[in-house]
Amino acid sequence: MSTLTLHPARRRLPALNGRQRLGATLLALLLAFAWLVPWLFDADPARQQLTRILQLPSLAEPLGTDHLGRSLLARLAAAVQLSLGMALLSVTTAAVPGVLLGVIAGWRGGWLDRVLGSLADACLALPGLLLVLLLVAIAPGNFWALYVGISLVLWIEYFRVVRARTRVLVTSPQLEASRLLGFGPLYLFRRHLWPELAPQVLTLAAFGAASAILAMAALGFVSVGLRPPTAELGLMMIELLPYYHEAPWAMAQPIVVLFVLVLSLNLLAGRDPR
Amino acid sequence: MSTHLLLAEGIAIQGEGVTIAPFSYLLGPGDRLTLLGETGSGKSLIAQAIMGTLPKGLRAEGRLVIDGERFDAADNASRRALWGHRLALLPQEPWHALDPTMRAVHQVAESHRHVAGRGRRDAMYAAWADLGELGLAEAGTKLPGELSGGMAQRVAFAAASAGGAPIVIADEPTKGLDAPRRDAVVELLARTPEAAGALLTITHDIDVARRLGGEVVILRQGQVVERGPAQQVLTHPQSEYGQRLLAAEPSRWPRPQPLGEQQAPVVNADGLAKTRGGRELFRDLSLTVSPGEIVGVVGPSGCGKSTLGDMLLGITSSDAGHVQRATGHPLGFQKLYQDPPAAFSPHWRLSRLLDDLIRRHRLDRAKILPLMMRLGLDERLLTRRPGEISGGELQRFAILRVLLLEPCFLFADEPTSRLDPITQRQTLELLVELARERHCGVMLVSHDPALVERICDKRISLDGTSSLTGRELDTAMA
Repeated sequence: MSTLTLHPARRRLPALNGRQRLGATLLALLLAFAWLVPWLFDADPARQQLTRILQLPSLAEPLGTDHLGRSLLARLAAAVQLSLGMALLSVTTAAVPGVLLGVIAGWRGGWLDRVLGSLADACLALPGLLLVLLLVAIAPGNFWALYVGISLVLWIEYFRVVRARTRVLVTSPQLEASRLLGFGPLYLFRRHLWPELAPQVLTLAAFGAASAILAMAALGFVSVGLRPPTAELGLMMIELLPYYHEAPWAMAQPIVVLFVLVLSLNLLAGRDPR
Repeated sequence: MSTHLLLAEGIAIQGEGVTIAPFSYLLGPGDRLTLLGETGSGKSLIAQAIMGTLPKGLRAEGRLVIDGERFDAADNASRRALWGHRLALLPQEPWHALDPTMRAVHQVAESHRHVAGRGRRDAMYAAWADLGELGLAEAGTKLPGELSGGMAQRVAFAAASAGGAPIVIADEPTKGLDAPRRDAVVELLARTPEAAGALLTITHDIDVARRLGGEVVILRQGQVVERGPAQQVLTHPQSEYGQRLLAAEPSRWPRPQPLGEQQAPVVNADGLAKTRGGRELFRDLSLTVSPGEIVGVVGPSGCGKSTLGDMLLGITSSDAGHVQRATGHPLGFQKLYQDPPAAFSPHWRLSRLLDDLIRRHRLDRAKILPLMMRLGLDERLLTRRPGEISGGELQRFAILRVLLLEPCFLFADEPTSRLDPITQRQTLELLVELARERHCGVMLVSHDPALVERICDKRISLDGTSSLTGRELDTAMA
């Protein structure tokens, strides 16, 4: 029989909308900046040249130098690398257990769900930044403390969203039908759960990456995060703060980069609800 | 001042592969117009074009005159001010249109207050009066989730008509309702023309069209196939399609070939009982299903028809009694669902889903093609996703999927209630034929007693009242 298709073919990956495309472009530019600069310019982010401090941008130093004569171009590239790497790492370590535990809790229900739910609530009871500060206080200036702290805060979102969605899906006819047809849990996850969860998880991941970057910069700014001479956006801001009058352009650079970084991720995440 | 309430001239809809040919009609006070047609014939779009709620990408053309005021159909926003006052839409599946967190009476009072502009106290009073009149006095303090489909329908009707709109558009008002509820809804709808309003109903149910009377328009793929007074069109249709549509009514179906000698039952249930939410669904229910036998289950919505089937499949547990299933068929117990798309993951091509099944159970690929031919499924359909083929095709694909596992018992939970009559007939005839041929016992749930009467060997009627137990009745098949 012939039919009238009222809905256009559903595409495998939803096309990015205008805003998301802008976000993706900005992110791609930042990635290119972070990884191409060390490759094209022979600049060491830690090399000090005390004779050439707070210089204006020039041909040799396209973004000028900081108060210790370090190349701002090299430092910014290193800082973006660090921030993005850290964001990727914390998002992955938060998303993987978050999604897995969420699926298990939503699927099994019962006491397991209650135990995992209470665990998530316990983590949520502490304000996120406080938890990170706590860990950083235990191991000051350590990269892993920051990373574990941020991941601990982030996984709960994945867990909660995935659990709520899974709970609905597990009782749905589509899962029941596949179960009756003799398919195992792995198949059910791959064919039924993941396609439904993926868009939400990816949106959360983009927002999560932005908040991880912000958390790291905030900690750097209040001098409890990473230690100098590491090139890190928050740290660069606080180091350059005393020179804001003499070298406003130097101070502005990490701020602008941080802004663009967070903006690009938020644009990428922010899709229309429909 | 004008003698007509709604005049539509040359309404056409275009875009995204949809074409609805220009279509005109005139509705005066007391008139009723019914658009009849299969799923995907564009019936709902005509209602949306009048309301001005067409989905993005679709464009309406033509001219509308509503209560003497002229509108351009292309300008969607222009009719917004009429909503509730002049035009009321009773949506499909009204339980989705009600706010799940708001008690029924408040939803009706809200329309009285904000659409009709009454005071808070007056609105509440009017809402209670409306509900009382519709026999819902007890349901007023309930949440939509606690209402049955028929009650939700009446609440939605009360909320939609509180603004006193003379033109009511009902989009598939009886979808998913059982026969008594369906008649109640038809009566409800008939109030509008009785009160000198105009009623435009969109349905695929011939019986609804017949009961409503008035003018009937049969649509097919966006084209008007036939139109005229209900009496004439629904008894002596001129068009070939109209005749086919009429022949698809269950009471005109041919009876299936008789079931041969009885064999050992595939399912034997004894003394089943179930209580849900403090209400007893059934008690001391015993039944057997033999290979190839079609057992029909009828009863009002919410009486536990689906629960009974799930018990036989072993998905749900029973409070008492036991179910004995034929041994040696680990995958022999399968189910067909009411809403075909809901039983599939919408993200994968059908070929992928079929491949998964073949690989999982090492099935013989050679068996698939003949069975697909038998079910009237084109091989090209496999390249599409579940949402991209029609409900009838998808249900037949679901039948294909379960038959590949050679089931001994199939629980068909209203498998055709969302399909139009012609597709329903095709699908059920095939199902019965294949069940007989493959010695698969079928338990068929339906809200249509005529259908069960026609094709089932045995009928089980579950009455909603808790005092009654399930009765096993042999039909005239003997």
